[in-house]
Parts: sequence; C-alpha cells; structure tokens
Amino acid sequence: MKSEKKKNIIATLLTIAGFLLVWQLVSMAVDNAAFLPKASVIVLEFFKTFVNPVGKYTMTMHILISLYRVGVAFILATLVGIMMGVGMGYSKLVEAILYPLFEIIRPIPPLAWIPMSILWFGLGDASKFFIIFLGSFSFITLNTYDGTKNVDRELIGAARMLGASERQVFFKVVLPSSVPYIFAGLQIAVTAGWSSVVGAEMVRSDEGVGWLIVMGMNKGNTIQIMVGMLAIGIIGFLLAQLTTLVERRLLAWNDQ
Amino acid sequence: MKILFKKNKYRLISLLSLLVVIFIWIFVTDISHAVSPLILPSPIKVIQTFVYKLQGGTIPDGASLLNHIASSLKVALGGFLAGVIIGVPLGIGMAWNQKFERIAKPLFDLIRPIPALAWIPLMILWLGIGYASKVGIVFFASVISATVNSYTGIRRTSEVHLWVAQTFGATRNQMLFKIAIPTAMPLIFTGLRLALGSSWVALVAAELVAATSGLGYMIQMGRMLGRPDIIIVGMLTIGVIGLLMSKVLEFLQKKFVKGGRLEDEK
Repeated sequence: MKSEKKKNIIATLLTIAGFLLVWQLVSMAVDNAAFLPKASVIVLEFFKTFVNPVGKYTMTMHILISLYRVGVAFILATLVGIMMGVGMGYSKLVEAILYPLFEIIRPIPPLAWIPMSILWFGLGDASKFFIIFLGSFSFITLNTYDGTKNVDRELIGAARMLGASERQVFFKVVLPSSVPYIFAGLQIAVTAGWSSVVGAEMVRSDEGVGWLIVMGMNKGNTIQIMVGMLAIGIIGFLLAQLTTLVERRLLAWNDQ
Repeated sequence: MKILFKKNKYRLISLLSLLVVIFIWIFVTDISHAVSPLILPSPIKVIQTFVYKLQGGTIPDGASLLNHIASSLKVALGGFLAGVIIGVPLGIGMAWNQKFERIAKPLFDLIRPIPALAWIPLMILWLGIGYASKVGIVFFASVISATVNSYTGIRRTSEVHLWVAQTFGATRNQMLFKIAIPTAMPLIFTGLRLALGSSWVALVAAELVAATSGLGYMIQMGRMLGRPDIIIVGMLTIGVIGLLMSKVLEFLQKKFVKGGRLEDEK
C-alpha cells in the first residue's frame, strides 16, 4: 500500500514536470510571448510580482485585498445564511414567509447582480461585498435549511420526553445535528465566494487578483494574465484545503 | 371554510409575503417616490419593459429579448456540450484506468482550482471576443463538474459486483459498460446538472466582461445607459432560464436513469 502511494506521488511529479517541459518546448517553438509565454517566464514573473508592484500594489497586497473582500462578505453570508437556514428549517412560519422569496433570488447567478449592485452601492467595496455575499449566502442557507429539516425526529422526541424545553431542544439537538450540513455549505460557499470576487473585480475594480488578469487582458499582457491565474488557482486551492482541515478538526466525531 | 384555511395557512402566508414585498416595491417607487427610478424602477415599469423587449423591441441595447436569449443559449449549450463530451469520458477513464489516472489526474487537479471566470482574459486574448472564446470559458466551467462527478461515480462501483462479474468471466470492458457505468449513471447525471448550472453562470460573466449580444451584455448595457428596468428584466430572464434548464435535466434524469437519489450530489 505504501509503495503504491509513493508511486502515485512520483507519477504526479513526473506528469507535472512533463507538462511544464512540453509547455516550455512548445512556447519556444511558437516564440510568441503574447500568445504563449514560456513556462519559466511565468514562474519567474510570478515570484517577481511579490517584490515589484503591478499597478498600485505588489501581488501580496492584491491577494490580501481580494481575501479581505471575500472575508467580510463571507462572514456576513455565514451569519445571515445560518440564521435564515435554521429559521426556515425550524419554524414553519418563517419558512412560509422567507422560502418563496429565497427561491426567487436563488436561480439568479450572483454575477448577474453586478450591474444592479453598482447602481445601488457604487463602484467601491460595498458593491463587491454585496456580490460575494450573494454568491456564498445561498449555499449556506440551503445546506443549513436541509440540515435542520433532516434532524432525526426520534432524537427530538426523546429530548422532549425527557423534559427538555423548546430552547433546549433547539440548542442541544437541532443545532448540533445540523452542523455537518452547515460545514458542507460553508465549504462550497468559500469556493463560490472566491470565484465571485474574481468576477466582481474583473467587471469593475482598481486592485485585486481579478483586476490583475483583466488589466493583463486590456494591455495584451499574457504573462500578467497567467501569473494572475496562477495566484487565483493557488489561493482557491488553499482556501478549499483550509475549510477541509477546519472541518476535520472541529467535526472529528462525524464520520461522513 | 375554516378547515380549508387551516390546511392552507402556510401557503396563504407565503402568498402574503410575496404580495407585501411587491407592495413595498410599488410603494417606494410609484406611490411615495422615495427611491429614484434610476436606482430602482417600479415593478410596473419592469413589466412594461419586459413586454416591450419580448415583442421584439430593440431599444436601447440593440436586440430583442428573444435574440439575446438565443445568442446566450447558443454559447451556453455549445460550451456545456463540449465540457460534457470531454469531461465524462475523462472522469470515467481516470477512475477506471490507473495508468491514465496517474497522468491525467495531476493535470486536472492543476486546472481545477482556477474558477472558469479567470479564463476569460486568456480566452479572449487567444480566441478573440467572438463565439469561440465564450464557448471556451463555458467549457472550463462545465468540464470540471462533469469530470469530478463521473470520476466519483465510477469509483463508487461496489467491489463485490466486479468480483461476481469476474467470476463469471466478464472481460474488463464488459465490467466497465455493464457494471461501472450503470452504477455511476445517477452521479454522472448530477454532474451534468451541476455542469449546466455553472455553464450558465460562467456565460453571464463572460458576457458581462466582453460581448456584443446576449443576456449578460443586455444587463451590462442597462447599467451603462442608466436603465435599471432593463437590468431587472435581464436578471429575471437569466434566473428563469437557468431554472428551466435545471428542471429539464432533472426530468430527463428521473425518466431515464434508474436508481440513485437526487440528493446524492456533491
């Protein structure tokens, strides 16, 4: 089993090395940096952007600005999403009031809100928060709602029979058993939020990773686009890994 | 009467909730004029614009609603199909053949974390702002869900079933087509639904950034021309079409795919 794992790692490294080599050779053959820059140039430029600013900031700042936008919107989305999801899952009245409205909003892609949010909130960060919020909030709401609805009825019955108050039932049974669902929602929401910030920054922004690649496009600078994509991919990957890690730590009891 | 009311109590509340929202909307726009029509148009204006655009009105964004829809659908379905045609075999191949997996999976994992939207600049630079580049962007959105779900679906094949087939002398190909793929069908279909959903989202984004027609272009024009009624008509159309497409696939799945629950997604 162990040698199998080793083999896989070696194969992975070999394939990626092979891929980079093919890229390098093809780009040298094509010899057109505007169409396909060399792989080595991309990697080199990627590290350079951490020192030399692109536009107003260095890469570190662009990434931090984008992460800040996602962070603020994600926290808001988590708060609102969990409250709405739990409310709709637990109370039929809340469900009747909010669910139809939620169902009307949900099919509209968050990026389709960009023009409207610019009219409403202007060109600054507020309109980006709004879009990222919409991008992640529906996943959190929906998963929380599912989780609260799927609580084992027997558990609730048992708690009631043993004399638990409504409050206790809610905080000791309903909420804990929907936590795995909530986490699944948060995980999708982080990825969706990251993709939304890229989109929002591409449509209208003066900094951030989305701005980086759109600026590259406007200037016809393929190197900048690819460097930006590399950064977006790496951060997206790290964010997904981070949520998985947090989930494993906090929800070790959940075997799913 | 009372029983009827009690039975439908929550439905009535839902209806009431919608009516209240619409009333508030009318109140702040048409009745009290608290909100400028440049920020939020009245629902009546939105309906008028919708009817006008539906009947073929081309002012102010240059095409009728149906033309925009057709142009968007053409791109979305083209990219979606390209993603499915490549993604499903790719996922099945990676899950079924270890050698292929060793080569393809690392490359796939390299591309996977890049959101489809981030491909927009590169695609435009490579393929121009026409049909091809938008199909390319949508392709990246759809290929990922299609591949991931096909891969997981094949991986879920029960070992016992494969052993039984082996005992009866089935070839590797027979095992793939008679056991693994049918087992994976529900998940593959879920993958198709997710792929269609993300295709639609990516399309709107692509049209927002660079296009000369389509629903995304229409709402972007609405903003530039200060016509929020156009934006809202466009947004609602985008939402309704997205919903319809997902319902169609859901229907096809129920009709043609045996077993598996819709909840099986991820």
